[in-house]
Amino acid sequence: MKKHEKNRNVAIIGIGQTTLSSHKEDQNQVEMVAEAVRNVLADANMTLDDIDCIVHGNMELFEMQFQPDMWHALGCGSYGKEEYRITTGGTVGATLVCASDSLVASGQYDTVLCLGFEKLQEGNTTGGITNMADPLWFRNLQTGALTSTTATEMIKEFGKDRVLRAAMKYRIMMDKHAMLNERAHRRLGLEYDQLETLMETSPQLVGELRLIHMCSQSDGACAMILTHEDRVKKGTAKPPVWIRDHETSHRGENMSNLYGAQKPKSTHRDCAERLFKRNGITNPLEYFDVFEMYDPSAYWGLDWLREFLLLKDDAVLKLMEAGEFDLDGKLPVNPSGGVIASNPIGATAMLRPAEAALQIRGDAGGHQIKKEVRHALASGFGGTLWTVMLMLEKELNW
Amino acid sequence: MAEFFGTTVADIFNTMPKRFKPEASKGVDVVIGYDCGGEGGGKWKLTVKDQVAKVETVEGDLGPCTATIIASDAETFIGVTLQKIGAIDALSQGKMKVVGDTRMLMTLLPQIFVQYTVPEKKTEVTARGILSAIGERFRPDKAAGVTLKYGYDLTGEGGGQFTITIADGTCTLKEGLDSDLAVKMTMEAVTYVGMMTGTIDGAAAFTSGKVRIDGDMMAAAATGKYFDKYVDPNAEEAEELLSLKVVTSINQRFATGPVMGKWFAGLREKKFLASVCPLCKRTLILPQEICQFCHVRTKEYVELGPEGYVTNFDLVYFASPDPLSGEVRDTPYACAWIMLEGATPEEGFAFEIKREDLPKLKIGSRVRPVWAEKPSGSFRDILHFEIID
Amino acid sequence: MATKRVAICAVAQHKNEPDLWYRRFQNMLLDVLEDLQEKTGFTYGENGVEMIVSTSDDFFDARTISNNGVTDVIGGQYLAEEKMAQEGLNAIGYANSIILSGHKDLVLIMGHCKESQGESRNMITNCGFDPFYGRATGLDYLNAAGLQAQAYMRKSSLTDDQLAEIVVRSRQWAAKNPYANAREAVPAGKVKASPMLCDPIRQLHAYPVSDGAVGLLLASEERAKEFTDKPVWITGFANCMDTFFFGDRDLTSNFALKKATANACRRAGIQDLKKAADVVEVMDCYAYQQPMWMEGLGFCGDGEGGRFVAEGGPGKYRVNLSGGTLAGNPLIISGLYRAAEATLQLQGGAGDRQVPDAKCAVAHSTNGPAGQFHSVLILEA
Repeated sequence: MKKHEKNRNVAIIGIGQTTLSSHKEDQNQVEMVAEAVRNVLADANMTLDDIDCIVHGNMELFEMQFQPDMWHALGCGSYGKEEYRITTGGTVGATLVCASDSLVASGQYDTVLCLGFEKLQEGNTTGGITNMADPLWFRNLQTGALTSTTATEMIKEFGKDRVLRAAMKYRIMMDKHAMLNERAHRRLGLEYDQLETLMETSPQLVGELRLIHMCSQSDGACAMILTHEDRVKKGTAKPPVWIRDHETSHRGENMSNLYGAQKPKSTHRDCAERLFKRNGITNPLEYFDVFEMYDPSAYWGLDWLREFLLLKDDAVLKLMEAGEFDLDGKLPVNPSGGVIASNPIGATAMLRPAEAALQIRGDAGGHQIKKEVRHALASGFGGTLWTVMLMLEKELNW
Repeated sequence: MAEFFGTTVADIFNTMPKRFKPEASKGVDVVIGYDCGGEGGGKWKLTVKDQVAKVETVEGDLGPCTATIIASDAETFIGVTLQKIGAIDALSQGKMKVVGDTRMLMTLLPQIFVQYTVPEKKTEVTARGILSAIGERFRPDKAAGVTLKYGYDLTGEGGGQFTITIADGTCTLKEGLDSDLAVKMTMEAVTYVGMMTGTIDGAAAFTSGKVRIDGDMMAAAATGKYFDKYVDPNAEEAEELLSLKVVTSINQRFATGPVMGKWFAGLREKKFLASVCPLCKRTLILPQEICQFCHVRTKEYVELGPEGYVTNFDLVYFASPDPLSGEVRDTPYACAWIMLEGATPEEGFAFEIKREDLPKLKIGSRVRPVWAEKPSGSFRDILHFEIID
Repeated sequence: MATKRVAICAVAQHKNEPDLWYRRFQNMLLDVLEDLQEKTGFTYGENGVEMIVSTSDDFFDARTISNNGVTDVIGGQYLAEEKMAQEGLNAIGYANSIILSGHKDLVLIMGHCKESQGESRNMITNCGFDPFYGRATGLDYLNAAGLQAQAYMRKSSLTDDQLAEIVVRSRQWAAKNPYANAREAVPAGKVKASPMLCDPIRQLHAYPVSDGAVGLLLASEERAKEFTDKPVWITGFANCMDTFFFGDRDLTSNFALKKATANACRRAGIQDLKKAADVVEVMDCYAYQQPMWMEGLGFCGDGEGGRFVAEGGPGKYRVNLSGGTLAGNPLIISGLYRAAEATLQLQGGAGDRQVPDAKCAVAHSTNGPAGQFHSVLILEA
């Protein structure tokens, strides 16, 4: 494998989020985007004059707005600036950060503002997701992103009771994290002693996937400002968070090969293997101090942890059962409450590195991890099981 | 005490200390007497000195005052205070009199007191109250053709059991729970009231298990749409936010191309045609232009099935609306992944399972397609897969 | 150490067609891809292509996350695949940055668009306006262009005769371009007699509905020689955004294009683009845009578009020898077709259209209503 060398190092120096909720009727799209931009500029103590380029992204058919960066120029502050609109799927927020990293590292741009948003309330989300499928065939079969096949596979592997308990424990843990994060959209106040009741009372959506396991539908936006090493040396309002590396692993739209009798390698594991190998990470569980993971449902969250962390056998269940993904555990996962708590899709995958960066800065507020966070991992998910991963560092010393 | 304009004379005086603006009363030294006749009236004395206001009720003589306001009845006094009745009108009609400097009073009082407003009235909202008026909110136009019977089992204080029946464009409520409910929702009465008044998020209450649903979840989710939204009488009037409802629709004409075309042509002859990767030999179904794993174009086709076995399935209890038609499929339904005979182990095929077969559906079930009478080369050519006993 | 410059190694184009009702865009892309692989011999994975930037649009494809429908055919399995959801020329600008950053040393760009699939491209661009006012008013990119054309023709003394001349010339060159859509000659009289679509834009002033696909392979300086002996270097790229509401803009000012041009030239180290460029490809969806964008690129003075045409500017500066967008490219990937022609010219592969010894080429694209957004790419042999 060839050595991965950046033309110049890049740091996140500003983080801005809007409030996240299911109803943002008090703002139109432009106003919502502007809220995130105002917040990120305030966080970095910068003005639009400091920004060379805006990177914008979401999914057009969710809001039914064609090339929305044109209308949103009003809220993004892109007037007179360079601008890119780069999208993937649910991964788009993370892709925007990766793209901004490349734009700054290239030397073509000094300071870049990236912005991911979604106003799901303005469209039919599940319809939007279903429209992703091939119009001639699979669109007739799909129901958004709701599936229980992962639960079924895990149950086959580890037994029903153990998997159902671990998934519900994961869900309650996420709610406990969300309760500490005042920006989180859905905060239910769940307790671990409700575990068995919830396993029974929460309405079933698909198979063992219950309403409580599934992520929310939220409106909101997230923005970040990235700049290069020399600019950072001149001083920044908040501590810089360095982007060490990132990787993407997509796959084709054909789902058939995911559900044969023989499973292909997951993009999560593929992406993690490549990223960790390139950076000499042999034990991610030991190396990272926090992991902000795109977890659209409790079963996926649980299953994907073992893929991302390259765990074998039932190690992921043992860690979950022992509380090792808790805020004071071995590797805290989603101190923010994760995607199950808040999910403005176009911003969701940017909220992951944003929250991870806040942890490194020590700025996460109520959900700040007590021990020092030096190495953070963030992941995005989208499409037909796509993956984007980012490695963030407190110090520029690798 | 007699009420006019939704309030009483006493309340106007009782709120005076709260409405007093000390900083605006610098140097003011007055004693104002009030004498309000009729039902709900009385006598009060207001003393303002050293930036402090004192209000007291007076029995008998008001004693020495800088000025005295005399109203013939409580309605006049309250009306003038609320500016519902013009002060000049009241004075000229003789319903109100001022002894002393009228001009001084008319400038001084607004300066040192915040204008009195009628306090909000809290109506007690109960689950029983909301439910007993449910008929008034019923929308026959929205419930046309709907027959639905559902129940609430509301526990705790103010609770009770209720059955709501929607049929023939009418809605009836009765106490108790019928045995033939489509769905029963169990929750605490306070949860129900909170959900109706908007202080508890309905989706969160369902999600977090505060509401238990027995029966058809789709029916439970649909109940809201047959009624106008409940209006909380205690709610503050919020600024009206408008939203624009638009359906954006652009007709499309999707090409099938040679590969998908082959698939649809195969369906007409009740055949499942898969393309084959020339390198890894996997059977791609639906047929694909390329093998995405090997990055090579596929050329050969092979017929698979029609029988196979189930590797995994989604049993769907909560159907989302079809993005194109807005229609919602009946639940539950199942979409299964099927290994067709002759397929390589990497590639499954997805389709819906016959509704009547759902109870016996399990991983490993053997299935076969049920074809439409006249396959025409479309998705509708296969009705469903049925389980082979 | 990261590379100093980035090369376009090869381009492949699908012929633009008015209505490929019988082809999925997946088939079209596959043809383009195989052409590109034949030209360069590239492979996927380690030491091959690990990064793909696709270009497509959710509305035109009628698919949420439109790139999901092509990830497999363009080779994205277990690789990085991202979509440029802007006009396609920006994919080249972005890929240039990816390679300069040191993150990847090869990037494959694959763009597609089938304008014929939807009932009307004007219905699609109508959705590009704000839902409250612009859409309700019935604005789309065509009548936005009509407003701009009115204003610009007044300012620059551009005449209906000159618009016809631009179209006639476009067709003459398109006849020599095997990838162009509208290749049959039209006389000026026919252009002037064609129905008025949106005054002053006539039917033959507007680009025909087109289906197409384009592929390019970009590489770092160090690796370019593995794939070509005629690398074309990206020396400058920039874009710029104008304001959205027409009332906030001077529709004739070329504000965004002038700024994008200045930044691209600065990066390329070019003082006078007019002197440096041997070939210019502009995205002229409507005839009036050719002189207007040439003005924005600095090839004539402010408001001199009419004179530019009268004095034979398009011929003198070798504008749109491909036939330009006027000869028919889909909206979203028109810039990729511009860049493809510019690359072919610099590689000496432009056939009957070849400009002898071309050293420097400009490719331009625009997006949004009435030229709200412009991109400028400068290529050198």
